Amino acid sequence: MSIFVNKSTKVLCQGLTGTQASFHIKRSLDYGTSVVAGVTPGKGGSLHLGLPVFGSVQEAVRETKASASIMYVPASHLKLAVREAIEAELDLAVSIAAGVPLKDMLEIKAMLKGSKTKLIGPNTPGIITPDEARLGIFPIDIHTKGHIGVVSRSSTLTYDAVLEIKKAGLGESTVIGLGDDILIGVDFVDVLREFHRDAATKAIVMIGQLSGAFEEAAAEWYKSQTHKKPVIAFIAGEAVPFGHNMGYAGDVITNGYISVQDKKDALIDAGMIVVNHINDINLALADLQ
Amino acid sequence: MNIHEYQAKQILNNCGVKVPAGCIAYTPSEAVASARKVSQRGPWVLKAQIQSGARQQGYFLGDKSGLGGIRVVNSLRRIKKEALAMLGQRLVTIQTGPAGKTVNKIYVEAFQKVKRVFYMALTVNSLDAAITLLVADVRDGDILKLALNNPEEILHLPLDLNNSVSQEQLQTIMSFLHLPQRCFNNLENLVRGLQKTFLDLDASMIEINPVGLAPYGELWALDAKISFDDNALFRHPDIMRLKDECEFDPRELAAQRFKFTYHEFNGAVGCIVNGDGLALSAIDLLKDNSSGAACFINVKGGVDKDKIAQGIKLIMTNPRVEGILLNILGGFVRCNLIADGIVAAAAEVGLNVPFVVRFEGTNKDMAREILENSHLPVIWADNLSDGVNKLLQAIREAV
Repeated sequence: MSIFVNKSTKVLCQGLTGTQASFHIKRSLDYGTSVVAGVTPGKGGSLHLGLPVFGSVQEAVRETKASASIMYVPASHLKLAVREAIEAELDLAVSIAAGVPLKDMLEIKAMLKGSKTKLIGPNTPGIITPDEARLGIFPIDIHTKGHIGVVSRSSTLTYDAVLEIKKAGLGESTVIGLGDDILIGVDFVDVLREFHRDAATKAIVMIGQLSGAFEEAAAEWYKSQTHKKPVIAFIAGEAVPFGHNMGYAGDVITNGYISVQDKKDALIDAGMIVVNHINDINLALADLQ
Repeated sequence: MNIHEYQAKQILNNCGVKVPAGCIAYTPSEAVASARKVSQRGPWVLKAQIQSGARQQGYFLGDKSGLGGIRVVNSLRRIKKEALAMLGQRLVTIQTGPAGKTVNKIYVEAFQKVKRVFYMALTVNSLDAAITLLVADVRDGDILKLALNNPEEILHLPLDLNNSVSQEQLQTIMSFLHLPQRCFNNLENLVRGLQKTFLDLDASMIEINPVGLAPYGELWALDAKISFDDNALFRHPDIMRLKDECEFDPRELAAQRFKFTYHEFNGAVGCIVNGDGLALSAIDLLKDNSSGAACFINVKGGVDKDKIAQGIKLIMTNPRVEGILLNILGGFVRCNLIADGIVAAAAEVGLNVPFVVRFEGTNKDMAREILENSHLPVIWADNLSDGVNKLLQAIREAV
């Protein structure tokens, strides 16, 4: 078991014919991901990496029954790409695009509301269920199948968290990068909820960050649950002086001034295990057993 | 990206927001001419144009008067004197750091008499994914103090993406601030103007601190700050041109040209990373064990080795850096391209300090081979804690 994607998830790729897409889709195919189609407007009817290319998502879905999309489209095209995914009623869309305009994301979030499509990202390494499916840009040789769910706001620290799990002799059920933009698709609460429903996930590693109030929302949700799976949490940024522009200025006035310590306190209060350094995760995992 | 107050006021004024008459000046005599242009008689307000809040409470380096960057002046003779005291000098505020920022221009405004002031801003609430109007009855201008101590005294109104502020919402603001009914239309113009500016120009934050209520119910933007969404600047070349390079450290500016981010701190270690999370966790760990980080560069998803080399050079040539910690976890970024960048940068500027490297992920074996073949004195690390320990030890031994 896993969440969102597994080996039978049929995946299409929006923007398949680009250079970065080709590099990473080839790796995903080698990994065993069931990529069944590509979509590039204007290039329908051709073959790329042995995959049929369609002119629209709807056409690709009709022909291949794909239910998830990995999008290698530039930030400026994301809104159109997500609209297509929503109209084709995909379950999942994953965007790795960096630098998506805030206003576009406001519009994307409004479109997603009331649709059946879930968006992971943008600006994320994506989602990987070890040995089953890789949608994104994750390194291919660091994951092991196992029972730890990973969810992270920081792309690069996700890899560090996975290496810590390996060091503890464990593996992952599913690993998800939420992306660290001001606005994101699925958030901690959405993913924690799925991990709690997933029989294969026994414990969760959660990597938060300085800005936004997603960690506080996660703490609130977790606190309200009666059946809790253990969550090991880490938040970087304690040593960064306040106002150093690493966070989002609007946060302070919108949510009050929240320091890393405040966030940690909220998570501890909710019952999570909070570690001070990323390399303490493997010890915390060992303690669980 | 931030812009200056005078630029923000002009933009807001184009969208229907009332601002006092003003004119920019680069020299004391221009300040006098500007004053004549905006008003027949005083008082005038001289406002130092640096991109920082709390200019009024600031002070100029080496100036015994202790006067701040906002000064109300009654005579033209006095304008020349005050402009002379501010121009070319460094203004220090709680936001600029101890070095302050050089004042290169002054905005000269007609003094606007008001009965009271309040705070108004537009920002994005990330949890609700909505543009939010913030209103507060802050008479001393200190919104941060209020946000810290009495956050419940700030009114939050989510605004619709496609429709103007509603009549009910305006009425809510009216009663929240106890504004006289004759203000209603002026309030509507003000909020609509802010909303239009925010949406049309892809702002990420607009702050009017304060709005002034004049005797006849007019509402004036007495100060203005606009931050634009960097990711949307490609849609606004006219806004991009307003970027003031004097506001940045030269290294920060150079990094921006390659779409990297660069930050400086007070310690002695330079960090090269490919994610803010990696940078933050390195800074935390360095702070716990040493004087901390000197600077970091985040090469983000960089896959152009020439740009990477230019970025790495910024760290190698920083005189405060006594050792370098490179921590790359390749996903999109390919470790081998980073290794190529290191070799190219070192060939150009030399590598004279201990250099600890950790590669993980995409093409890390290729990267290791490149550095080993280069014969650069690289210390290899397995993870962040290991890297920090090895680097701090090497720095101690080098002294």
